[in-house]
Amino acid sequence: MDWVADFWIPLIKAVVVVLVLLLGGAYMTWGERKICARFQVRYGPNRAGPFGILQPLADAVKAIFKEEIVPNHVDKIIYVMAPGISFAAVLITFAVIPFGPEVDLFGQRVGLWVGDIEVGLLFLLAIAALGSYGIVLGGWSSNNKYSLLGALRAAAQMISYELILGISLLAVVLLAGSLNLREIVDFQGTWPLLVLQPLGFLIFLIAILAESNRSPFDLPETENELVSGFMTEYGGIKFALYFIAEYTAMVVNSAIVVTIFLGGWKWPALISDLHPLAGVGLFLAKVLFVLFLYVWIRASIPRVRFDKFMRFSWKFMLPLAFVNLLATAAVVAFL
Amino acid sequence: MTVSQVVFILLSIAALGGALGVVFARNLFRAALALVLSFVGVAGFYVLLEAEFLAMVQILVYVGAIAILIIFAIMLSRRMMSSETQPWNEQWVGAVVVAAALFAALVFILSRVDWPATEAQVPADSISQLGQALVSPDFYVLPFEVASVLLLVALVGAVIIAREQ
Amino acid sequence: MAIDLGAVEAQLSTAFPGAVVEREGDWLVLDRDRLPSIATYLRDEMGFDFLTHVSASDYADHLDVVYNVYSTRPELQGPGLSFKVRVPDRVDARVPTVTTIWKSANFQEREVWDMFGIHFDGHPDLRRILLWEGFEGHPLRKDWHEPYYEEDNKPFGSRWPYPENPRPRSAEQRVHWRANVQYPQGFDPEDWDLGADYPPLFAPKVEINGIDTEPVYLNVGPHHPSTHGVFRMVVGLQGETVTNLTPVVGHLHRNHEKIGERNLWNGNIPYTDRLDYISPMYNEFAYVVAVERMLGKEVPERAEYLRVIMGELARVVNHLLTIGFQFNELGAMMTPMIYAFTEREHVLDLFEEASGARMMHNYYRIGGVYGDVSDEWLARCRKVVSRLDRKIDEFETLLTDNEIFISRSRGVGAMSWQEMVNYGVTGPVLRSAGLSYDIRRVEPYSIYESFDFEVPTYETGDVYDRYRQRIAEARQSIKILKQALNRIPATGAIMDGKNAWNVKVPDGELYSRVEHPKGELGFYLVSDGGTNPYRYHVRSECLINLAALEAMSVGHLLADAIVILGSIDITLGEVDR
Repeated sequence: MDWVADFWIPLIKAVVVVLVLLLGGAYMTWGERKICARFQVRYGPNRAGPFGILQPLADAVKAIFKEEIVPNHVDKIIYVMAPGISFAAVLITFAVIPFGPEVDLFGQRVGLWVGDIEVGLLFLLAIAALGSYGIVLGGWSSNNKYSLLGALRAAAQMISYELILGISLLAVVLLAGSLNLREIVDFQGTWPLLVLQPLGFLIFLIAILAESNRSPFDLPETENELVSGFMTEYGGIKFALYFIAEYTAMVVNSAIVVTIFLGGWKWPALISDLHPLAGVGLFLAKVLFVLFLYVWIRASIPRVRFDKFMRFSWKFMLPLAFVNLLATAAVVAFL
Repeated sequence: MTVSQVVFILLSIAALGGALGVVFARNLFRAALALVLSFVGVAGFYVLLEAEFLAMVQILVYVGAIAILIIFAIMLSRRMMSSETQPWNEQWVGAVVVAAALFAALVFILSRVDWPATEAQVPADSISQLGQALVSPDFYVLPFEVASVLLLVALVGAVIIAREQ
Repeated sequence: MAIDLGAVEAQLSTAFPGAVVEREGDWLVLDRDRLPSIATYLRDEMGFDFLTHVSASDYADHLDVVYNVYSTRPELQGPGLSFKVRVPDRVDARVPTVTTIWKSANFQEREVWDMFGIHFDGHPDLRRILLWEGFEGHPLRKDWHEPYYEEDNKPFGSRWPYPENPRPRSAEQRVHWRANVQYPQGFDPEDWDLGADYPPLFAPKVEINGIDTEPVYLNVGPHHPSTHGVFRMVVGLQGETVTNLTPVVGHLHRNHEKIGERNLWNGNIPYTDRLDYISPMYNEFAYVVAVERMLGKEVPERAEYLRVIMGELARVVNHLLTIGFQFNELGAMMTPMIYAFTEREHVLDLFEEASGARMMHNYYRIGGVYGDVSDEWLARCRKVVSRLDRKIDEFETLLTDNEIFISRSRGVGAMSWQEMVNYGVTGPVLRSAGLSYDIRRVEPYSIYESFDFEVPTYETGDVYDRYRQRIAEARQSIKILKQALNRIPATGAIMDGKNAWNVKVPDGELYSRVEHPKGELGFYLVSDGGTNPYRYHVRSECLINLAALEAMSVGHLLADAIVILGSIDITLGEVDR
């Protein structure tokens, strides 16, 4: 067994990715507050450190030192477990996302991804399905009507939009001819898939907004109707786990969008001979752009009502995704 | 004992423990969760057998859709938390007989079959082979199409039931 | 401004011989026993379809229940009919209900029962509304003695949970009335079951389409982000569809009216600020107009202009804030709300300079206003007004055509104006359903008659129309503001006579109403010629508009019920008083 190649390098990669993700999730909370504040003619956090840069740290410390309250009427095991499931699912998702090409680092040939599996795309969908358990279990175990309604909504929403997500990805698979994310990125060497699949991209973007419960589809937590939805009974570090899972999920989902539709770490065809590590920078920049999109949407659009949202899913998005799939299949088959 | 054997034992515990949990849990919701655990254990077996595609589909379909639907139904139909149900009912004798017979039959068959072990590696493009097998007239196109017709019928039936209101 | 009382009396006496027992100033005293049939006649034959105010007053030997009815017929709009019924028996006080005739009486009769212990026969749901079930007595009766102040008992006991181990220095040890608590007869707070008074939390099974199901009862509030304070709705849900909805109010109750009776006439002005704390200026406006009507006092012209300027600024701010909150409820992550608050800051700066306070202004005075403003203030005010004008355009650009907003608000909470009138709904909500009824026009006060403005209306009264209504009304207010700022006399007194510390109001009683940004804010005042009100009642448009909430929400989703609540625009400070 080659310990360096088979054990240490994957371990180091995994640790680095998890740390970056955690940091990214934490700073996403800061970034969102800051950007939203700018949309709303105010400053946002600016007390903890310059530009409030230490705010996530302060929030984390506060959450950790809060009293751990487990209400009497909850199903204690599941109640404690649920935020963990949410969080773990988000972290696992990133495992298959390549964030750079294969590079020579410290005399070793290192691929800038954690896992390179043949069914990467399916893996994404499967883990997303697991992630919904975090929410459903949290909502059920809280034994609170608001939580239950939130969990019901989450379950319905995720089933509906996972389907759309899958079908819009099928078109991608048809074009790229692979389920492997690394190969999908390679396929986008000249043009990002956005150019070939503009409709698919839009469908995917909407579906992933819905999948990650982000505004305008944040129906499982809808503060104004369900108090906090599935999180109503949570506090302290458990709430913080949910919270950071949501924001890390934003980062991960942006990375997915970038990998599948925006060309991953690849530069557009015009620019080619750059240092491989510059690709990682480009990947990050694209992810930040998609994240900005998330916040932009949240700051400017009101929430969709749940029944209309479901109707939109089944009666409009799903047929549209099928049309897109059929058109792509026709193009692939006859051209 | 190799690593994969340890993993196999752990997965077996998950799959069988989950299955036992389904039948013995007093709380319906917890029984559904145990079912999820069992499904995940089975998906683990697939990974161990290097059938990644099957593993992912197992999670996607069974964990992500079927189990969620079961949980959904439980959440909609039972009072929260208070559903301590009795896992036994008056038909348990018959159930034991049927289960024992099935178990005996399975053991009988398993012990009669010679299980060949090959050294062959899983081909690299197993997924495309799988895909072609599903639509090739030489292999499984008939079962595949029959299954899709069945699903279509189910879909239409569901729409008709839902339309009645 | 008075109605032809003689003609009404004659017509009533022909239809119901002996119906008018007595004529007392501007009030008719009607026959108590025949009240329902007389009321039906008033509504159907004489056009008084709009009962806006029901209240009561205690005169040592009898109780009076007073009613104010108005008409929405174009030719009869304007001053309405004030009548009362007399209840001689204080112990077993009974009056037939008019809730079946005017639904707007529902909450108000409950309030009268709560405060005066007058039993309304035939009322569908006669429970206490502002106080809790364990409250002893009816506090606005003159013979009721106030715990702590006048009486050696307390309204409820200590919450210290270990009676066997009393806290050494607890309040119960220190005060001289000790643990002497007084509850109504047969009431035990330990046994008090909240559920008994409200719809059950777990409802019995019902059968829908052949399937046994249990409706879910959801307690929305009092600790809920979208109830505008401590308001509670018990919502029955079938799926997420609202099947019934019971508003529960009173969490913020402080018996404003009892405090008002103890205060001097002048001293009530700052208290009115605490009613609707979103637009305190207009509450003061309503109160001073009422007192001035009793006094027959004239107000100097410059003061009138200042009043209108302050009042209309308050209206614009109120409407913008309401729209902002509305979008917050629609899930727009605070952006419109903070835009609205930005504009409010500019107006509050003006208010602060004029009155010295940003929120609780205490600016209006009986016979004038508290302080004059400088020319710079007026110049700044003009700037703010033209800024508000632009900002309303900006709101419209950003919000009016938003598809998600339209899809969520069209048809939601729609109600015909006839039904709204029956429920006593007033203000922008009523006008958005198509009835042009603005008290500034139909019963002008202050100097509103001299301004050129329209009363905008929309058709359906749904949430979208209420939004457009508020935008349109804010525009009209800007129009009034521009005229007022152009025409305000350069100099002049701002008080009628000198600023009196104390006012004596002559004997009499009156109900006076103004067009508050949220609806009809009325004050029912009774004076015995003294330096403080004998009876002081606030006709709270917020509370009475809530009466229509259930009818508007049933059949819609929970998410819509929240939005409908927001579009009715309540402030709990005024609902609970």
